[in-house]
Amino acid sequence: MKRKIMILLLSFFMCLITAGCWDSHELTEMALATGLAIDKEGDEYTVTAQVLNPGEIAGAQMTNRLSVSTYSTTGKTIFEAVRRLTQTTPRKLYLSHLRIIIFGEELAEEGIGRAIDFVSRDHEMRTDFTLSIAKGMRAEDVLKILTPLEKVPANKVFSSLEMSQDAWAPTKVVHVDELIDSLTSPSKQAVLNGLYVQGDIEIGSTLDNVERVNSPTLIKIDHIGVFRHDQLIGWLDEEQSKGFNYITNNVSNTVGSVACDKPGRIVIEVINTNTELKGKTENGSPKMVVHVTSEVNIGEVLCPIDIMKKKNISDVEKKVEKKMKDIMYASIDKAKELNSDIFGFGEVLKRQVPKQWKNWEQNWDEEFTNLNVDVKADVKIRRTGTISESFLNKMEKNKKKDE
Amino acid sequence: MAKILRRTRKKKKKKIVENISSDYNQPIKQTIEENKTFVNAELGNSFDIVIREFKLGKKNPIKAAVMYTDGLADKDLVHNYVLETLMIDVREAELNQQIANSQDLYNRIKEFSLTGAELTEITTMKAIFNHLLSGDTIVLLDGFTNGFGVGSRGWQDRGVQEPSSEQVVRGPKDAFTETIRTNTALIRRRIKDTNLWFDTQKIGKRTKTDIAVAYIKGVASDDIVSEVKERLQKIDIDSILESGYIEELIQDETYTPFPLMYHTERPDAICAGLLEGRVAILVDGTPFVLLVPALFIDFFQSSEDYYQRSDISSLLRLLRFFAFFLAMITPSAYIALTTFHQEMIPTPLLISIAAQREGVPFPALVEALMMEATFEILREAGIRMPRAVGSAISIVGTLILGQSAVEAGIVSPAMVIVVSLTAISSFVLPHYNIAISVRMIRFCFMILAAIFGLYGIILGLIIMVLHLASLRSFGIPYLSPMAPMGIKDQKDALIRLPLWMQSRRPTYLNKQDKIRANTKEPKPTRQ
Repeated sequence: MKRKIMILLLSFFMCLITAGCWDSHELTEMALATGLAIDKEGDEYTVTAQVLNPGEIAGAQMTNRLSVSTYSTTGKTIFEAVRRLTQTTPRKLYLSHLRIIIFGEELAEEGIGRAIDFVSRDHEMRTDFTLSIAKGMRAEDVLKILTPLEKVPANKVFSSLEMSQDAWAPTKVVHVDELIDSLTSPSKQAVLNGLYVQGDIEIGSTLDNVERVNSPTLIKIDHIGVFRHDQLIGWLDEEQSKGFNYITNNVSNTVGSVACDKPGRIVIEVINTNTELKGKTENGSPKMVVHVTSEVNIGEVLCPIDIMKKKNISDVEKKVEKKMKDIMYASIDKAKELNSDIFGFGEVLKRQVPKQWKNWEQNWDEEFTNLNVDVKADVKIRRTGTISESFLNKMEKNKKKDE
Repeated sequence: MAKILRRTRKKKKKKIVENISSDYNQPIKQTIEENKTFVNAELGNSFDIVIREFKLGKKNPIKAAVMYTDGLADKDLVHNYVLETLMIDVREAELNQQIANSQDLYNRIKEFSLTGAELTEITTMKAIFNHLLSGDTIVLLDGFTNGFGVGSRGWQDRGVQEPSSEQVVRGPKDAFTETIRTNTALIRRRIKDTNLWFDTQKIGKRTKTDIAVAYIKGVASDDIVSEVKERLQKIDIDSILESGYIEELIQDETYTPFPLMYHTERPDAICAGLLEGRVAILVDGTPFVLLVPALFIDFFQSSEDYYQRSDISSLLRLLRFFAFFLAMITPSAYIALTTFHQEMIPTPLLISIAAQREGVPFPALVEALMMEATFEILREAGIRMPRAVGSAISIVGTLILGQSAVEAGIVSPAMVIVVSLTAISSFVLPHYNIAISVRMIRFCFMILAAIFGLYGIILGLIIMVLHLASLRSFGIPYLSPMAPMGIKDQKDALIRLPLWMQSRRPTYLNKQDKIRANTKEPKPTRQ
């Protein structure tokens, strides 16, 4: 009897021990990757991982070793390359905490489709990281740069992207599910934000870079890359990027300026915008109506204008409306030029006029280049700031008196 | 599991035999001399037995003897109400020879002379020993096979003091003592109801411990009362030294980490239990009184809950449940998250945990087990050690084990935080025995977490809930009023609603006298 129970208990514990633990891994056995850069090298991929050195970021005693290191290797496929990295890293790469994946421009021009499969398939990866393109350079160079303020460069890029999308507008944070959505949709094209290194890469990858008050090498976020299918075909500049975000209802807060009648400019802060896209048919051909309603504040008054007057305020509103329309048209023109429907106009038409859409679906590219887009903007100035008349006016008057 | 264990237990039961050299049931002997010899022989001439012989009456005096146990009997009482009346008063009240030789003398002494309040006639040697060893005084007369037992119990006891284990800020500060009589008085003082009944018996072949089953007739369910009495009757043991003996001998299920009987040293808690329809078991010699049936939620309730505002009491109860889970799960969750589910930890937190674990030579499980074991050792040391070395232990515990272990890189600071959190959480629970359960279960969860990760923890929780649902305390499901669900009983379960809302006694306990209050919401009578 006792023997039987012993055997029973033993086999029970054997079950626990043999079946369990297979996927457990201690924190000290893993290399936390925060950034991944993918470049093309002939027909092989070069994968560069930015790996954290936790002790240098949050440890009790810091040495002057760096907070991150990059490891890079090549392979026929991404997964192969990622695993081959263990040849150089002492620990296994852990990708769950990935903040950013950067594609080299060369790879992006050739097509990123093949590189994305691993990213979306691997169970270890969450979907909350962003994807970007290294504009005019190799992606691995971006990951090499040490950044001041943020100890983890990938984190700095991630938060820069998010902050600038929230407060400055010409930036687009793209997550992997959204990217795949655009890549597979016949009526929408993908965009990815661009970033590049400003300054010397060699200096940027040493501690020297963060030991100076003004770092000589910086990672900058700029421009939105336009894709056609999975290939990069062109870039939107800052204005056009902003226009793109207005159209896609992705602006939460930004700053812009318009010229006054008198010399000088008036600066407005957009605090709230909402964009509605409407698809129509006009004489059998598609038509899009983009309607932006926007609430703005006056942020700076740099010209002699009395903003207490209602007429002046509505003047400014009109000017802002015009400016908004201009940048949106600029962005639409650029997209037409590149023949890439990055705004998803096709999707809107498909939803709103599904019957007619079937006629255009086959040659949507052509239809898009000839698409009639009507942009409307509705701007309301809400607040004019804590002072009414600019003290600049008084100052000017005093100056004149002296003369 | 329990069944297997039970089966393996050897079934041979040995009957406890009282070590009796002579026949206790024999009647009292005729002469004082014989009785004295017998008692002395039986008690081995123990020096705490006092036998005083004297003569009764003026003319034709007859021999008499008074026996008592020194230390158990109140000497003043023996002197003033037994010896003095028998030796002086009886002598002065002239004894007629005619009467003296007959049964009348015996009756006279019983009716006029012995002025003690408790008086029992005794006829056997067994009764003599029972009374003598309980502190009563025995009066024997020469030529009579009947004697008297005069209640004279009075020994040194601790007196009513503050409870040491369940402190309250607001509420009565008295606690039960080691004397059952004091304890019954403490209950009787609070419930002046004719239906408060005490049912007494002696358990323990050698200790002959007084056990009282207290309940309110009509409020307590008859089933439960008779169940308690039956279970007590089945006890066959030589000694009962603490109520823990009773608890272990009559509880529903031995193989469970959860307490199935409630014990407390607070009279107010016992009274509240009695008024809800529970049954209390008082044991002489311990301040801890048992209360049955005991349900899972009872261990999360403090008697103070009813003395404070209901809103704060409700919040505190929820906090206790939260603390219960913290105390049980925290180390295992830490293990599971750091070894299996790193993706679930926010990146900055993971970095800082990783930084701390950098250089720690042990896997998370070993680290956690080590720290938890250390804490358990410290806690045990803290309870058992002499007061004088207390400060030394706390210095060693906090400084050396906490700080130095971290500085030496043996454990990570995060682990120290986890262990402290568990420790503090387990102290939040108002009853020590549920905290003990948590202590044991915690280790199982840690091992499960190390093997299966979060799946293991969930698995463990499911097993635990199944086990809890299978338990019963004196016929009442342990998880009542959650499972089976009693909507009305939710007024005093996880939360406590104001007293005027609780007009009914718990439905899972009461079948007969259900209404306990009929008060409306208090409002000013005049505006």
